[in-house]
Amino acid sequence: MTDRMTISRRRLLGTAGVAVAMSPFSINIARAQEAKIKIGFPVPLTGPYGTEAEDQVRAAQVAIAEFNEAGGLNGRLAELLVRDDKLNPGEAATRAIELIENDKINFMVGSLSAAVQLAVNNVTKQRKVIFNSISQSDTINEVADFSPYTFHEALNPHMTAGAVGRYAFSKFGKKVVFLTADYAYGTEMVTGFREAGKAFNIEVLGDIRHPIGATDFSTLLPRIQAMKPDILCISNFGRDQQIALKQATDFGMKKQMKIIAPILLYTGRLAAGEAAFEGVIGGTSYYWGIENKIASAKAFNDRFRKMFGGKVPSDYGSLAYGGVKTLLMGAKNAGSVDPEKVIPAVEALKYDYYKGPQFYRKCDHQSVQSVFIIESKAAPKDNPADVFNIIATDEPAEANLRSCEALGHKA
Amino acid sequence: MTYTVEKAAMTRLPKDGLMDMAYRHRVLLSAVFLLVFPLLVPFKALAVNILIYGLYALGFNLLFGYLGLLSFGHSALFGAGSYACGILLVHYGMPWWAGLLLGTVAGGAMAGIIGMFAIRTSGIYFAMVTLALSQCVYYIFYQATGLTGGENGLRGVNVSDISIFGLHLYFVDPVTRYYVVAACVILALFFLSRILASPFGAVIEATRENEARARASGYDVRRVRLVTFILSGGFCGLAGALQAIHLSIVPIETMHYETSGLVVMMALLGGMGTFFGPFIGAAVFLLLENVVSLWTVHWQLFVGAVFVLCVLFFPRGIWGSVLHWVKK
Repeated sequence: MTDRMTISRRRLLGTAGVAVAMSPFSINIARAQEAKIKIGFPVPLTGPYGTEAEDQVRAAQVAIAEFNEAGGLNGRLAELLVRDDKLNPGEAATRAIELIENDKINFMVGSLSAAVQLAVNNVTKQRKVIFNSISQSDTINEVADFSPYTFHEALNPHMTAGAVGRYAFSKFGKKVVFLTADYAYGTEMVTGFREAGKAFNIEVLGDIRHPIGATDFSTLLPRIQAMKPDILCISNFGRDQQIALKQATDFGMKKQMKIIAPILLYTGRLAAGEAAFEGVIGGTSYYWGIENKIASAKAFNDRFRKMFGGKVPSDYGSLAYGGVKTLLMGAKNAGSVDPEKVIPAVEALKYDYYKGPQFYRKCDHQSVQSVFIIESKAAPKDNPADVFNIIATDEPAEANLRSCEALGHKA
Repeated sequence: MTYTVEKAAMTRLPKDGLMDMAYRHRVLLSAVFLLVFPLLVPFKALAVNILIYGLYALGFNLLFGYLGLLSFGHSALFGAGSYACGILLVHYGMPWWAGLLLGTVAGGAMAGIIGMFAIRTSGIYFAMVTLALSQCVYYIFYQATGLTGGENGLRGVNVSDISIFGLHLYFVDPVTRYYVVAACVILALFFLSRILASPFGAVIEATRENEARARASGYDVRRVRLVTFILSGGFCGLAGALQAIHLSIVPIETMHYETSGLVVMMALLGGMGTFFGPFIGAAVFLLLENVVSLWTVHWQLFVGAVFVLCVLFFPRGIWGSVLHWVKK
């Protein structure tokens, strides 16, 4: 018995030893391929947003492939270094430091959470590496977190909620109730809605908060029904949104009021099914269906379909495409990967890569872009991906962003 | 708990001169190990994380391994150190060393507050009370957005240039950062070793082995527990403060109960009640996590399997088993 145990222990130690010994080794081999433009890409592959993160990786690979096929930067090709940030800011910061110190990346793109992007941003700005964030946050635009090395390709809650609010308040009435997840994202969304509502003199009947990860809204929904609003605005994300919408549908609330949400996720809609989302109106940065009108979207979708077996890119996925592509094109225009040269080149871009015209505002490097207002529908039998109708487009305009002064920037 | 008696017999009454020497110079040996350690790890940021979590696990082990109290609320102590250091640096512009010092004090103070309530209980009740209180602390820090950044975490704990007795160092440099953190950890190891070798250290173990006898011998068991808890908090607080200046952020996740669970796992994996075991536990856990997650998104399955195997076949933990094996 003792002998057998000893053998297995040795074997186990041996295996562990080999695993440990191989790890720095394999990284050294990867490092041997010099002169590539390296893009660090921390995204939450494990955790509740894993589906979105996988799509972000796919879309980023499309941008890399296109850049390399076009000859790269004078023959210098690009490479994507994907890391799992586990949706944890501490892990993301560690991974970001690793990517900069060990892998000597040229640019950083990624993240799928407000806290994670701020963590990565803090690491990159301290080390003067360009970071293009591809998830929503208002805070990253503000002067305390911003740096010349910070870019924000994603929408922010102010823009998203503003676009949806301007559409909904002009059409469905002025009496509004908010149902909000009680954390930074929810609060920022409500602030965005209230700001947009000022121009329409909306009357806020109530702002009901629920903790993140709530599974039961049945005590909150009757209170909302009793307030008799024209519009119910649900500001939460992911699974919370799916459950809230499902229960609101079961309560028959869609007959009494219009339900709007700042963001309708493509992946979330597919996961929850048509009944819960039916008739709900929300915003998005991208929906593949715009390809009928926008040529660049058509080209991006086709390329994506070709590379990934007929799949279409999701909203958060397409942001990764935009985020990687703008930095690579900036480098190409600058003829260099030196951040001090790439920054002005990216600032100078007037680009239309996948969703119509965009540009980065000078003061906070926020991408000024369109917001699509979509309505959920039942998908036709022949195309299960066809889940939204585009009912309006909020055209890109600096006026839809918070002013540079309000963010604390000097003019 | 026969193995602890065996271990005590092994370390206190060594038959072998080499083991005796190793025991006497455990801090020196640990220090030498830490100095060459970065060469074995794929990247420095991970090596620094291992140092920090190793120290955190050592602090936890003082309470769990040596005193025999299982706490599920150590994230509050770790987080208190982290936030104290971060807040003092960001909002009050204090120098880095003051942040570390006061982070340590904050960890101890937080342990004092939680300990006052928790040490009245023991066993599973102690675990539950510490868990509940640490969750209260979590929500206080979560809500104090102005000071802690709340959900977004505290950013801007940037330490770039430091000077120690006229020696100027660039802290952002990975090698410098490792050795500065390592120096703090070695200092902490020295203190821990002193505590364990002191008469008070013997009282800690006596309390664990037989509480009634310790009380009969005239020791105030409750006070011993509180003081040990506060000391444990000090080590965890220092670990937290080091994490704040290493990552330059303090995420709210630092306070989360998962961080409490993590340290239990590390201590068990390495070998509770051994001097250096928790460090080995932290290193193995973080290395596995980082290396395996490069290959597959199912890294949790792999790490979980290793943990289960360890608990089933090496209940003394990795380092505990090695010590046991060497003794044979």
